[in-house]
Amino acid sequence: MLILENIHAGYGSSEVLQGVNLEVNAGTVVALIGANGAGKTTTMRTISGLLKPTQGRVLLNGEAIQHNEAAAIARLGLAQAPEGRHVFGPLSVEDNLLLGAYRYLPRFFGYKKRAQVQLDKIYALFPVLQQRATQQAGTLSGGEQQMLAFGRALMAEPKIILLDEPSMGLAPVIVQEVFNTIRQLKAAGITLLLVEQFAKRALEVADYAYVMERGRIAIAGASAQLQQDERVLAAYLG
Amino acid sequence: MSKRWLLTHGTELALFSALASLPLFISNTYALGLLTLLAIYGVCLIGLDVTVGYLGQVNLAQSALLGIGAYAASLSVTHLGFGFFAALACGFGVGLIFGVILALPALRLDGPQFALATLSFTAIATTTLNEMEWLTQGAQGLHVTRPDLWIGEFTAAGFYWVCLLLLALVWLAMRNMLQSQWGRAFEALRDSPIATDAMGVGTYRHKVAGFAVGSALGGLAGGLYAFNFQYLQPHSFGFELMIILLLGVVLGGRKNLWGAFVGAALIVLLPNLLSNPILFRSFAVIGLSIALFAGWQKQRRQQLFTFQTQAPIMAMLLLAGGALFIDNTEDWRKAIFALMLFAVVVGLPEGLMGFATRRLSQIFRLDTSTLPAAWPVAEVLVLQTSALDDLLEIQQLKHYFGGVRAVDDVSLRVVPGQIHGLIGPNGSGKSTLVNLITGLYSPTSGTIHFQGQPLPVGSLYKVSHTGIARTFQNLQLFTELSALENVMVALRDQYRIPLPLLLLGMGKQQETNARAKALTLLALVGIDAQAQQLAKDLPYGAQRLLEIARALARQPRLLILDEPAAGLAHPDVIRLVEIIRRIQQRGITIILIEHHMDVVSELCDIVTVLDGGKIIATGTPDEIKRDPDVVKAYLGEPC
Repeated sequence: MLILENIHAGYGSSEVLQGVNLEVNAGTVVALIGANGAGKTTTMRTISGLLKPTQGRVLLNGEAIQHNEAAAIARLGLAQAPEGRHVFGPLSVEDNLLLGAYRYLPRFFGYKKRAQVQLDKIYALFPVLQQRATQQAGTLSGGEQQMLAFGRALMAEPKIILLDEPSMGLAPVIVQEVFNTIRQLKAAGITLLLVEQFAKRALEVADYAYVMERGRIAIAGASAQLQQDERVLAAYLG
Repeated sequence: MSKRWLLTHGTELALFSALASLPLFISNTYALGLLTLLAIYGVCLIGLDVTVGYLGQVNLAQSALLGIGAYAASLSVTHLGFGFFAALACGFGVGLIFGVILALPALRLDGPQFALATLSFTAIATTTLNEMEWLTQGAQGLHVTRPDLWIGEFTAAGFYWVCLLLLALVWLAMRNMLQSQWGRAFEALRDSPIATDAMGVGTYRHKVAGFAVGSALGGLAGGLYAFNFQYLQPHSFGFELMIILLLGVVLGGRKNLWGAFVGAALIVLLPNLLSNPILFRSFAVIGLSIALFAGWQKQRRQQLFTFQTQAPIMAMLLLAGGALFIDNTEDWRKAIFALMLFAVVVGLPEGLMGFATRRLSQIFRLDTSTLPAAWPVAEVLVLQTSALDDLLEIQQLKHYFGGVRAVDDVSLRVVPGQIHGLIGPNGSGKSTLVNLITGLYSPTSGTIHFQGQPLPVGSLYKVSHTGIARTFQNLQLFTELSALENVMVALRDQYRIPLPLLLLGMGKQQETNARAKALTLLALVGIDAQAQQLAKDLPYGAQRLLEIARALARQPRLLILDEPAAGLAHPDVIRLVEIIRRIQQRGITIILIEHHMDVVSELCDIVTVLDGGKIIATGTPDEIKRDPDVVKAYLGEPC
């Protein structure tokens, strides 16, 4: 479904990604782990079109998308819940969610009904968001904002979701919830690419995993296999 | 040292010697007049660059301040009998006073509102100059007598030399200021006013000072302007001049003394360049070639043809095409300016000199300036001792947001030398509590005592001077400053040399010490290798550590770390734990907010658990882990 071929990308004169090859098959959960500064977030930004690669191709369902604008890529069914909870602060929680489905919902007729259906799905996953539906997103706590970013990515029924650090800054009990949600999504057959610092949990939920080091894929393999891999154990699982 | 020194100071020296020797070869009074004007606008634009470049505000008052300075200098000669330099000082002083008067209210505003406030000032100032006929002779215009110097009457070259000398002095003084803690503070408060206050640098005070200095330079340039033209009319200081000045700063390049100079050269020379059709046509062709070349280069490197490369080419095509058909270029002047401005703003957002500086330092492989050796940690972080039982004592603290009880009756003691953990579900009030302690919020009720004294309420700036420092959960770094400079901004009790002496260049030793101290702290957190990188270019983990190093520069007794491990991978978390241990060994008391329970267990002597704004448990990490309430509300079942 999603293939990265020899991607080089960076900011200004510093090249962060130095030839990344990666593949996400439909219906699987793929984890991307590695130390800070290894290039995980940069990889995500390159896939979603926020950053243009200097070399290489990104294929989504066989179509090269590396030159497309981020908005066009989103319309192809790729959603992203970015690191650092980029929610629209002054807007209400519900408006934030609706913006996630901006291109997905019908323009005029049946908007309300369809929107409600989508909102209800999200509220079923995250009941807290329903309680806070009218509150300004900027006044939510960090964890609630993370859930909102997560819910917003789900609103447009994407084909593939990029999750960047979904557990960052969340209480342990909420982290468990987030991973339970990921399992639910996986059971529902949604394709996920997951960047995560909690390597252990990420490997538990993922089918396949890549380990990044200094802008390259250092190790790749089935999650079960990586969980046994000594290099991974030593460096990332502690 | 040497290559860098040659390129910066050497080129400046070469520029000014060349400019100073020009009158020896040029006898054409018209050309000399243009050079004089170049020096005058140079002074004015250096002043404008302080607000537009460093403070990042759109300042539309500089033309009015130039006018006020011009009238003040002229009137002080006719009515008070001032001499030449006294009159210039008068222009400078009046610019300074009006700058402060305008800044005090206007700098409470931000962005478009600030721009509008300065715009109204210009309207009021020019109208007043026009209507106060008894003093300024209004629209008729004011004839100015230029006082002679004691050595005799001014020649055209003599006056030019005086203007050039003043430009050189202003250049030197402003470089001293902008490379000192003042320049860093200006950039810091543009990037994050909250963090600037929290690091003990008063934002408002610095903003007003920066604006006042810029305005005073506008007034000084006004005095020179008056004695250059010897005739003043209020409407010449209105909107057109204002736009041209702004254009000069943006075209030349912001935050750059050379940029101000090149901008001044452009606004002086361009009208003359454009008055001759042949010159204008060759100019347009050169512009087009540059745009095409830049586009081709980018295409080759990135295989991309973006708006940033297309737009300048289109603009220059239009200009070159127009040049073929237009003979009366004078009439089209403004449209031509507009096209050029558009092309430069889109293609080179950093301005001509911003671009040139960057390219030149790449071409000459200028290593970033050398760093002094780091100091022993003990000299930068003095070992803190306390005889008190409680360093921080919070009693019945409450904070309500509307109906939400974010902090609801919290009482807490922090023992000196300990690491005090603060955990709880998201939204339980941890960050609110920290914001109350550090003065970002004022409590609804309750008291906070620090070292036995009540803490100042509701002022980040005042709290930061009591010995409390903090990091921010959602990073608040000064993104456009280097890692080293981020720490230098926050250094406590480091900058003692007053501004006038700094302008004279007496801050060198102080600056070297500050760099060494900042480097020591960067080494303490293990990111000294990246000292000269911009904070925004650092990897996420390094940014987190930089927050800690910057807070340590306050030499705090109490350090509040707000989720330092958030988003850190396992190897980095281990490093972080070591760093926090090292900080504790300096006698610094720490409040640690964190979700990584292994970090909390490893480090904390005592842990307080918040839920719904209330304390639900207090104890050692092991006690907390077994507490059923905490497991239910926060930890969840172990997996």
